This record gives sequence, C-alpha cells and structure tokens, in this order.
Amino acid sequence: MTYRSNVAHAQGELRVADTVVPFVAPASAESPHRVRIIDGTLACLARHGTVKTTVDDIARESGVSRATVYRAFPGGRDEILGAVVDTEMARLFSALGVRLGTAGTLTTALVGGIVEASTRLRDHAALHFLVEHEPGMILGHLAFDESDRLLVTASRFTAPFLARWMSPHEAERVAEWAARIVLSYAISPSDRLDLCDEADATLLVTTFMLPGIEALQNVSTGLIDITPYPTGGIQPGGGHDTARGGGGAPA
Amino acid sequence: MSVDARQRIIEATYACVARRGMAKTTVEDVAREAGISRATVYRTFPGGRDELVDATVSWAVFDFFAKLYDRIQGATDLEEVMERGIMFAHRSIVEHEVLQRVMQTEPDKLLPALTVESNRIREGIAEVLAPFVVDRGLAPGVDLSNAADFLARMVLSYISAPGRWDLEDPAQVARLVRSELLAGVVVPASGG
Repeated sequence: MTYRSNVAHAQGELRVADTVVPFVAPASAESPHRVRIIDGTLACLARHGTVKTTVDDIARESGVSRATVYRAFPGGRDEILGAVVDTEMARLFSALGVRLGTAGTLTTALVGGIVEASTRLRDHAALHFLVEHEPGMILGHLAFDESDRLLVTASRFTAPFLARWMSPHEAERVAEWAARIVLSYAISPSDRLDLCDEADATLLVTTFMLPGIEALQNVSTGLIDITPYPTGGIQPGGGHDTARGGGGAPA
Repeated sequence: MSVDARQRIIEATYACVARRGMAKTTVEDVAREAGISRATVYRTFPGGRDELVDATVSWAVFDFFAKLYDRIQGATDLEEVMERGIMFAHRSIVEHEVLQRVMQTEPDKLLPALTVESNRIREGIAEVLAPFVVDRGLAPGVDLSNAADFLARMVLSYISAPGRWDLEDPAQVARLVRSELLAGVVVPASGG
C-alpha cells in the first residue's frame, strides 16, 4: 500500500509533494527517538506554531538532547516538520484503514470513515493552532489545486476498502466524495450536522450518499439516460453531444 | 463617504492588486490609482490596508456570483441550473487571472479572506438553490435546509477542486449532478 505524501519544504512552508512513499509510519529505522521527537514537535506546534518552534524547544519537549534530535533528523527543523506531516497522515490513514477494514456494510464503512476522520481533524490541537495563527500554511492545502491533490491522496488510500461494494472506478469516486464531505464540514462546521457524531453522519450517508452511489452505478451502466443541457456559450468550441455514462464506465 | 467613492476605491485596490499583488499594494498606491487623497481613503476605510483588501476580496467574490447568477437565469429546472452554474463557475475560476496569480504568489494573504467569505458564499448558493429544489420536488423525509446546505457545500468543493471530474465535459457534469449532487436530494428522475 502506498500513499502520496512526503513533504518538500521551501522557506519553512509545508507542501504535499508528488512522490509516492511506502505506507508506513516513517519512523524507527534510523533512530529509536523519531516518534518521540515527532510527538514532542506536535506538542510544540499546538502551543507556538511552526514559526516560533525551534529545535531547542523540540528537544526540550521530547526529553532528548539537541544532538539526538539532529542525529534522528539531520535536516533539522524542516525535516522534522516534514516528518510530522507524513506521520500524522499515516496515523490518520491507519485509523481509517481499521474502521473501513472492519466494517461489515457499505453504510458502516462510510459512516465509520467519516466519523473517524472528522473527529481526528476536530481534535488535532496542532492543526487548530496553525489554522488560527498561520492560516496560509494550512489553507494552502485546502484550496484549489492543492485541495485536488489532497483529495486524490485521501481517496487513493480509502478507495480499495470501498471496492468490496462497488467497482474500483466507482470506489475512487465515492472515496473522493467522502473526503470532500469531511473537508467541507471540518473547514466550516455546520450547526445542523456534526459529522463527528455517529447519528448525524449516518443521516448524511443514508440521505445523500447511498442514493448518489446507486445513481453513479446506474448512470455508468446506462440505466439512467442523461442528456446534458446545451451549455450555450460556456464552451465556445466545445460541442454538447448527447452522451451517456461519463468516462470509462467499468463492467 | 458615498457608495460611489467606496466603489471607486475598491476598484482601484483591485487594479493595484492585479498589477503588483496584495503585499505590495499600499494605501498610497490605491489613493493615487483612484485619484483621491490618502485621507479620503482612510475616511472610507478606517482600518487602512487590511480593511481595503478584505473589502476588495468581498467585492470580487460578489462580482463573481453576480455573473454566475446571470448565467443561470432562464434555466428551467434544478439540473440545468446546476450544470450551467458548475461549468461556468469552474471555468471562471480557472480563467480568473488575478485570482490565479495571487493564489500562486501570496496564498497566505488571500486564503484567510476567502475562507471568511466562504460561509457567506455557501449561504448565498443555498438560498439560490432552495426554491429550485422545492420546484423539482424534495425527496421524502429530507430537510430542505440540510439539503440546500449540503448542495452548496458540494458545489463549492467541486468548482474549486474538481478532483477526478472533468468539469469541461458536459456529459461528466450531467452525471455528477445526477449522482453525487442530486440523487439523494430530489425525487427520482421526472423523465427527461
């Protein structure tokens, strides 16, 4: 299993990069202290953010020496911050894997995954500090092209679990859809639906997602005839042929 | 100050941002661009630069949605409203030179302002869609405000980050609208 992440950092800015790395918590191999340092860093970030957190702070918080920090992370602060992002992604995906892997039905898989991800985002102290005080850094991952990349990363990991109930192609779409829903409600919480709550998440899944998934399958197998409306003027050169089924419908 | 002066200052700010970005735009530049004094700018926007920039983002977003609203006029049902709206909105974002440039160079300046706007935007979209949902026929047992809010969230998500969907392709947009967007919200297909 792989997931796209890994972090390149320019001027202390975190960025989800295009490289594919093995899906393991990037720990232990080099130094037994890595996880401890990463957790120490998370505590620092939750209090001071990235700008004010120094390697000294991290060493103190982790209960190791500065030299030990540099032995574990020769690249210093930037490398540690990158490892923190990778580790937190790996932790989120492992937890999601457990929820999705043990679910007996599609509904429990979707509800479990949405509640798990929403709750972890809600309770992530470091993430909250950064959204509050260094919004540019976090929001950069949640907007436009970067958000696209995040959606692809998240759905690529979760789709195989959903493929027990649908074709791999549809599973990717549905996983991406679930990731959108989690992100939307995490970024701007609703006063109507709390997706950390099992009952609310179930309501959302059964009301909106299950019929949508059924329709995705029907449309891709041609059961529902769709004729897009003429798009008059929106696409100067583009035709609007009567089309069925979108792209690449699986058997 | 009059609405007129306010509008003139905002448009001047937009022109400055388009030329040299958000960080480098000063109250001085805006005053010069608008052909008025610094004092007048400060009288209208006592918060100075930050207030100016927020007001300009607000205005640009409003302008975008005004055009979007024009675009969906004359649409006969919910499916058509959504297809037209999504395609137009996505294309406008992709082709919006100032937005794209500022996103590339100073996302940290723009995004917090856009995020503040996004709640208002979402409510606006929900309000526009709700009557179309009612006309089309709300699915049994579904709460209208929940449905409209959900639709607005999803529309915003897709137009800013289409993911696996090709929003330039009318057939794909038609499929998206009839599955992930509307399947749970309205009563099943009324023919068509």
